[in-house]
Amino acid sequence: MAALDVLDESTVAVQNVTVRYKTPADDDGARNSGRIARVARAALGQQPQVVVRALSGISFVARAGEQIGLVGQNGSGKSTLLRVIAGLEKPAKGQVLAESTPVLIGVNAALQPDLSGAQNVRLGCLAMGLTPEETATAMPEVIDLAQLGKAIHRPMRTYSSGMGSRLRFAIATAANPHILLIDEALSTGDAAFRERSEIRMERLRRNAGTVFLVSHAAQTIEETCTRALWLNHGRLVLDGAAGDVALRYRKYAWALAKGNNADAKQIIETAVSERRETAVQIHNPSPENARRPRHARP
Amino acid sequence: MPAPLLPRDASPAASGDLFNVLFDGPDVRTEVVSTGRLRPVGERPSLSEYTRQLWQRRHFLVAEARAKVTAGTRETLLGTAWLILKPVLDGLTYYLVFGLLLQTDRGVRNFLGYLVIGVFMFSFTSRCVTGGAQSIANGRNMIRAFAFPRASLPIAVILRELLNMVWVFLAMVVLIYSLPEPEITTWRVTLVPLVFALQVIFCTGLALLLARWTAAVPDVKVIVQFAMRLWLYGSAVFFSYDRFLSHPTVLNLMEANPMFRVLDMTRDCLLYGVTPDTTSWIVLCSWAFGMLAIGYVVFWRAEESYGRA
Repeated sequence: MAALDVLDESTVAVQNVTVRYKTPADDDGARNSGRIARVARAALGQQPQVVVRALSGISFVARAGEQIGLVGQNGSGKSTLLRVIAGLEKPAKGQVLAESTPVLIGVNAALQPDLSGAQNVRLGCLAMGLTPEETATAMPEVIDLAQLGKAIHRPMRTYSSGMGSRLRFAIATAANPHILLIDEALSTGDAAFRERSEIRMERLRRNAGTVFLVSHAAQTIEETCTRALWLNHGRLVLDGAAGDVALRYRKYAWALAKGNNADAKQIIETAVSERRETAVQIHNPSPENARRPRHARP
Repeated sequence: MPAPLLPRDASPAASGDLFNVLFDGPDVRTEVVSTGRLRPVGERPSLSEYTRQLWQRRHFLVAEARAKVTAGTRETLLGTAWLILKPVLDGLTYYLVFGLLLQTDRGVRNFLGYLVIGVFMFSFTSRCVTGGAQSIANGRNMIRAFAFPRASLPIAVILRELLNMVWVFLAMVVLIYSLPEPEITTWRVTLVPLVFALQVIFCTGLALLLARWTAAVPDVKVIVQFAMRLWLYGSAVFFSYDRFLSHPTVLNLMEANPMFRVLDMTRDCLLYGVTPDTTSWIVLCSWAFGMLAIGYVVFWRAEESYGRA
């Protein structure tokens, strides 16, 4: 019996989220379709489609002040989960609730490639709903955080990926978002920038915010996060303290790298068996429910 | 065997939480969150709330439009001069083909002025519609990076074309008054901005509608290009519609065509000193406000879908 009441400090609730993609694929599994469909596809020059399950049955609740790391191999669903939380992707099943609009810093190259960094800062701030006055106040701080020097006046398409992600991070934090989702953006920054961005994230979290961070480096998760989620093939393997999850993930990755697939499987299975399933119950305080207590006899 | 002590109405569906917590073992931890504080993400706001958000982003719309005014010509040597040169060259081409070679100018008073108005005003609609249709695809980076009402993107395209149009409009007026054939200038010139405003409203609605369709099915982009060409030929841009007077179906189609009305009314006011008739105003107003209402609602209904790959 462990019904936790998190009514007052939860920031993000992910309830049983499942995401499927329909993508072209040319493997044999995709070829078992009717002859007419095959001919039509060949005539239109299109590849057969397969359904990929990117996420299945993910549930968890994030609270204020948490920095949650997402670990897992490439293609395990980390970025998809962030996109779902950001509301950019609609899950096939389940839903995501958030206390305010989550801000996602993705890996896409440039915002407006032809505009200078400074113009991008201004546009970004206005797009997030800041007034022109607020934008004017926020701009020096954003430019200072990005520390791009003279490059801030050059078109964004001339930026390296590290410079681009620094600028995007700086813009995204300008509006002091409560929920910040970072998709490997910081892994491309240099050491000095990493230091500054960590200070910035720390400040956001102290303002009762929640930060999600995708990283391949288990060490980063261990050092900066309070909690970690380990995803494997779209399923949640483990949800717990960052140190514990990161350590297990490192052992798993090490076993895989050495070719000890049996060991790796063992680590995952142990983790899954020790995990406590989370069920998210959404309570709807509508007038109808209020009138009749939930467990009252009729 | 005694029945478990359960509330009588406790069907598993009705009180799944309690049931799970009590009987489903200690493995499941149930967390309760309230919709009072948490809202579904990416949820489409109500139409009035959406409009309010859009109004709140007006500075973003203007900034986005201004930043992109020169986007189409930035790589060229002549730069913004192309904004004027392009319609001038377009007009010249049509004059060569339709005026000199095919002689469709017979029976048209001031054919050069007629042609200039047709080409310049139609090019505005054309750029709004094709730009608006592709605005979601072109703005994907912005959509993925920031949360804002997505209708901002097609509307910013219209604003951008309005800023471009300032120069095109000037060029048009200079051309009309410097061309040899005479025009009748009256107070009716002041009606031209009104006609243009209706054209802008109509284009906004159409851009919103096509932006949703193109976002859902990218093939629409190709179809739009063909439709625009067909529309150009069907709007009496470079020939007189008098030729079809004998054919009632074609004439009816022509008169229902909003762009034909726009061109016809602009020419009446600017060239011929005639007040456009009431039917024209009614037809154009219905198209403009009807298209805006339909386009806005249709675009808003798919608001959640634009962020997808």
